[in-house]
Amino acid sequence: MAGISRFRIGGLIAAGFVAVAVLFYQATPLEAREAEKPGDSVRGVTLWADNCARCHAMRDPKEFRDDQWRVIVSHMRVRAGLGGQDARDILAFLQASN
Amino acid sequence: MSWSGSNYVSAVVALAIASGVALSEACAADDMAGLQAEVDALKKQVQEAGEWRRSDSMVHLSGYGAVTYSDAQSENGAYDGVVFAPIFHYQYKDLMLLESELEVEVGKEGETEFALEYLALDLFLNDHVTLVAGKFLSPIGQFRQNLHPAWINKLPSEPPGFGHDGAAPVAEVGAGLRGGLPASGGRLNYAFYVGNGPELEAAGGELEGVRSEGMTRDEDGKKVLGGRLGFQPIAKFEVGMSAATGQAAVARDAAGAVASDPARDYDVTGVDFSGQIYGLELRGEYVRQKAGAAAGSVAPDAAAWKAWYTHASYPFQPGKWEGVLRYTDFSMPDANQGQRQWAAGVNYLFAPSVIAKLAYEKNDGESGTAADADRIQVQLAYGF
Repeated sequence: MAGISRFRIGGLIAAGFVAVAVLFYQATPLEAREAEKPGDSVRGVTLWADNCARCHAMRDPKEFRDDQWRVIVSHMRVRAGLGGQDARDILAFLQASN
Repeated sequence: MSWSGSNYVSAVVALAIASGVALSEACAADDMAGLQAEVDALKKQVQEAGEWRRSDSMVHLSGYGAVTYSDAQSENGAYDGVVFAPIFHYQYKDLMLLESELEVEVGKEGETEFALEYLALDLFLNDHVTLVAGKFLSPIGQFRQNLHPAWINKLPSEPPGFGHDGAAPVAEVGAGLRGGLPASGGRLNYAFYVGNGPELEAAGGELEGVRSEGMTRDEDGKKVLGGRLGFQPIAKFEVGMSAATGQAAVARDAAGAVASDPARDYDVTGVDFSGQIYGLELRGEYVRQKAGAAAGSVAPDAAAWKAWYTHASYPFQPGKWEGVLRYTDFSMPDANQGQRQWAAGVNYLFAPSVIAKLAYEKNDGESGTAADADRIQVQLAYGF
């Protein structure tokens, strides 16, 4: 009985995460997000200075290409708890400065 | 009509000019066609060269490496740290990021130690919510998830209690949600997760340690829920609170694997802060892991592991030289096995990602062990 209960709880948690993921994604599909919110490089300068140096030395924007910065900023968005718009603003600054 | 000689000459000249013009036009047409072909070829090359900028799927290789020399009391000095930690990133549009860090180290016997530090699938659901699933660095506190890479950590060593065998959880296997959003003029970031949780280790009828590297089994069948809330009221200053709760069981003691040990309460609490003012960087972190009592266990008593550190660094030549000072206090269930450490260091940054460190540690721990041996460390680290 305990085994069944554990199975059900684990399954419910997993199903819950999938449900949350689908609900959030349906609320704002990828295409809509990409189309309506471009990055602001001016705002990105400040966000870059305020956030990146919280943990490590500032990397030169010229160190990476546009496509590399895109992936790096996505990684840092997760690691530093950045919002999507903040990440796009920082990316716009880095891509404009390299 | 009769033609004179001059008429014949004029006709021949006119015919020659007409032929030349026709020939010239034909050549020009050929040249144009050739030029057009060259332009088309160049356009194709430019288009192909720019494809990497527009592709939906992107790949990026990152990571870090470090070499450390340590000279401790009662031990011969040795190059005792050789670490290669490649990080792989694969991204599909702005929807999915796969991130994975391997940790490859040279062991004391010359063997190669290989570990999957993390492998997480990050699904960007919207601007404020990201679903994270897989094996991920523990969001509890700051050191493990943000500061442990050698090119970021300002000292050659990790604070006692915040490494792989300490008070702070290392990693988790499970799923969670994390993200950031504006709040009250500042910024809020969060990370919540549910995972398999840690396993406990026992020795001599007492709890001895917590294995929290992230496992794909869950012997006690009880999940652990946890997370961290971080708040930045002003730029360059953040405070965070962490907690986790669930159950864990003893899976190993001195005799080997332990089967069917009863599950017991497992709780984690933590607070942290970081800030910068006039170049001075201050940060600190406290974390406590507690395993409750469990009747019928091979180690029935409760136990707690606690650690805190505070750290200051100052760039006395910005971008080049910086000084670092850190104090750490690590408490274990066996009071004799705790450790207190002062660490002071000087760093030289050849570049933002290339750092040379020289540090001295004053350690106070169990007599006759490494935890009590003062040491000097030199490290060269590169984040790529």
